[in-house]
Amino acid sequence: MINAVKSFEHFCRAMAMGSGLLLIAILFMMAFLGWPLIESGRFIALFSTEWNPQGKSYGILPMVMGSLRITLLALFFSLPMSISAACLTELLAPRSLRRLLLIAIRFMAGIPTVVYGFVAIFLLVPLMREYFIQGSGFSIITASLVLAVLIAPTMIIFFVNGMQSVPRPYCAAVDSLGARPMQKFVYLLLPQAYPTFLVGIVLGLGRAMGDTLISLMLAGNSVAMPESIAESGRTLTAHIALVIAADFSSMEFTTIFVCGLTLTLFAICLILSIRLLDHFGSGRVIQVENPRRPGHE
Amino acid sequence: MNRIMERGLVLFCWIFGLLPLLILLTVIVYLLIRGGNALGLELIFGKVPVLDALFGHRQVFDGLLPALTGTGLLVILSLVLAIIPGICGGIYLAEYSSPGEGRMLGLLFDIIAGLPSIVIGLAGFALTIILHRHYPGRLGPCLLLSAMALAFLIVPYLVRTTEASLRSIPLDLRLTGPALGASKLQNIVFVLLPARMNDLIGGIILAIGRAAEDTAVIMLTGAVASAGMVRSVLEQYEALPFYIYYISSQYSDAAELQSGFGAAILLFALCGLLFLLAILLEHGFSRRLKR
Amino acid sequence: MTKLFRLMLAALFLVTCATFTHAGDLDSFKGQGGALKIAGGTAHIPVMKVAAKMIIEAHPDIRITIAGGGSGVGIKQVGEGLIDIGNAGRKATDKEISNYGLVMHKWAIDGVGAVVNPQNPVTELTTEQLQGIFSGKIANWKELGGEDRAINLYDRDAASGTRSVFWKKGLKKADVSPKANVVPSNGAMKTAISGDPYSIGFVSVGHIDDSVAPVTLDGVAPTLDNVKNGSFAVARGLYSITKGDAQGLAKLFIDFLFSPTGQELVKAKGFVAVK
Repeated sequence: MINAVKSFEHFCRAMAMGSGLLLIAILFMMAFLGWPLIESGRFIALFSTEWNPQGKSYGILPMVMGSLRITLLALFFSLPMSISAACLTELLAPRSLRRLLLIAIRFMAGIPTVVYGFVAIFLLVPLMREYFIQGSGFSIITASLVLAVLIAPTMIIFFVNGMQSVPRPYCAAVDSLGARPMQKFVYLLLPQAYPTFLVGIVLGLGRAMGDTLISLMLAGNSVAMPESIAESGRTLTAHIALVIAADFSSMEFTTIFVCGLTLTLFAICLILSIRLLDHFGSGRVIQVENPRRPGHE
Repeated sequence: MNRIMERGLVLFCWIFGLLPLLILLTVIVYLLIRGGNALGLELIFGKVPVLDALFGHRQVFDGLLPALTGTGLLVILSLVLAIIPGICGGIYLAEYSSPGEGRMLGLLFDIIAGLPSIVIGLAGFALTIILHRHYPGRLGPCLLLSAMALAFLIVPYLVRTTEASLRSIPLDLRLTGPALGASKLQNIVFVLLPARMNDLIGGIILAIGRAAEDTAVIMLTGAVASAGMVRSVLEQYEALPFYIYYISSQYSDAAELQSGFGAAILLFALCGLLFLLAILLEHGFSRRLKR
Repeated sequence: MTKLFRLMLAALFLVTCATFTHAGDLDSFKGQGGALKIAGGTAHIPVMKVAAKMIIEAHPDIRITIAGGGSGVGIKQVGEGLIDIGNAGRKATDKEISNYGLVMHKWAIDGVGAVVNPQNPVTELTTEQLQGIFSGKIANWKELGGEDRAINLYDRDAASGTRSVFWKKGLKKADVSPKANVVPSNGAMKTAISGDPYSIGFVSVGHIDDSVAPVTLDGVAPTLDNVKNGSFAVARGLYSITKGDAQGLAKLFIDFLFSPTGQELVKAKGFVAVK
């Protein structure tokens, strides 16, 4: 019996470690395949030049800029929407409606990305082309509008969780002082729950940065350095999807592994920053209801 | 904060807060208007009689059956691959790991959960290239490879769900088993896991939804535009999300576009159904707790 | 009513099938099974799909997968042995042929023509104008006698054989603006142009239909006849490539493309048959 207990523990450990270690294996694999480019001494040039395979220039700077612009713009569009929706579900809406709102928002988190892209191609792109921007309608702004909708549920759920985890006595105190909902939000909930808000924003950023289909379908994929948000642009993720078809032994093909590495490093930075936020927020809000920390049970 | 600003903020919240719902409604209504008339048996089976298609007497060419079975098989296979590492990993994090080790592993899983799915697809593709260099032959993008990549994608969800639900078990329930002489393993298998079965299944269902909708992974690891019914996991296959993407960029006539809309409705409905199931389980659970 | 309509459709379908199928062309597949993987050139896909459908319907034990990617992918993947038949809309380079020992099978002739949206009044261009448009020097339709709207360029990715032929023979190797939108296949190009009234792009002549308007280049329209008699210069062969001589199912499939039925199919899909 003892044996079974021990071996189960070992099995579980192996499973956990194994899945974790795969991540490191992936990093190595991509570094290995992207090595010819990194090694050729053009690593810096990769992030500073333009993409022009015919001129033997494989800079991925336009894609990095494209990714950053689309992501930040999506966040810009999504934030007002997400905070408002979180306020509605937590403070403003009639109680009977709140549950429904929350369920609808959670449902939105599960809608397939490709369906959003599909609908946007036939609904949003012609609209953009005719009424808002000159050009084809496939542009950075089109993609970021759709991405804003895509990342909103993630952020809303975090905002709501953050507000719910503000200790009850505080809320009761503020309520008994006769605070109106928005006063409660601005003077109590926001200052108390801001670390969770930030975590939500960072996760939203990660989702926007990591999404492939929306930018591939809607951003136009041109390789030029975008000069305005109404122009067509290409993200790192879309670049991978497009160049995967190239010749295996070419330098172009190698760049997609550099793109993959860049995206991975970006994801790691985001998670580390969340950890840091978590750390700063410790003792205040986050740990009150976070089931992950055994020490505080 | 004066009254006017307060009013303004409230108005702002109502307008922008309802925007996501409005968009959700727009998407649903638009899909139904444009694609509603595509729904029907012909959408799935094409011009082949239903029974002939189901028993494999005839190949379905104009219908979505190959894509549907491809997605179905893909989801099942990736779940089979992911469920043991996912749940065992979660149990380890919740019950066995030391705090330091737990933090480290937790960080790794958080990073995996945060990886862009195309990176995971790229890793799967890279694996075939490396294997191919050393073992030239018949190794290439296929359904099994996609399932492996998708499994890796959903493992962190399963780990986190299992861990969170085990951790949320109240102390008295947790101690009852050992007090009666149960070993730790017995306690986990016969007391703790069953107590949180609804949570676990809910998490698994959401993971299924994640695997069913992902497109970036499969377009790099073996989904193709036309393959017919799946016969072997070592072959390329059709899948619903990839079909939708493919049609959106290159439908050749109105009928094809129509079936694209039909596919979008199907995938939407599939994910909705899974979500509904998860919600129902959750509710059943909370009711039982109150009792 | 609908039932009658469906019946008629079915009848029509049967008739078209019947005209395609010459007796015996599918017989060589008898008793065959297994899988055939095809990938590469996107201009080939319509023919490939119908050919695969005819073969599979007659012989359900055969499985054929068809993927796109572009000519570069087709050549590379067949060379690496990942697929059985690689399609290319350009000739493989000498280096590619000698590296991998490739054998090319040219089963159709095709052209690559510039296309615009049918609403666009501009339908005639000279080579210089075309070069100007694609390099970004001519940026407004007004300069060409059209509406006062910016020109939306659509380009293909580097793996495309259609692009390399168009660039070499149509644009005479002039620069292409990096600001052009990039689409991944001939089908996607057609879809994009037909949805965007101010666009210009290029597709395989076989793909030109009512949804896009062909642009007459230096007075020659990109039509099948002009490709056939050689007056439209932006022409190319459509190739299916195998590693070494074609064998097994791949051989049967390529033979089928060269059979009367296969060549009928080539014509029906808008290409010039080679036999």
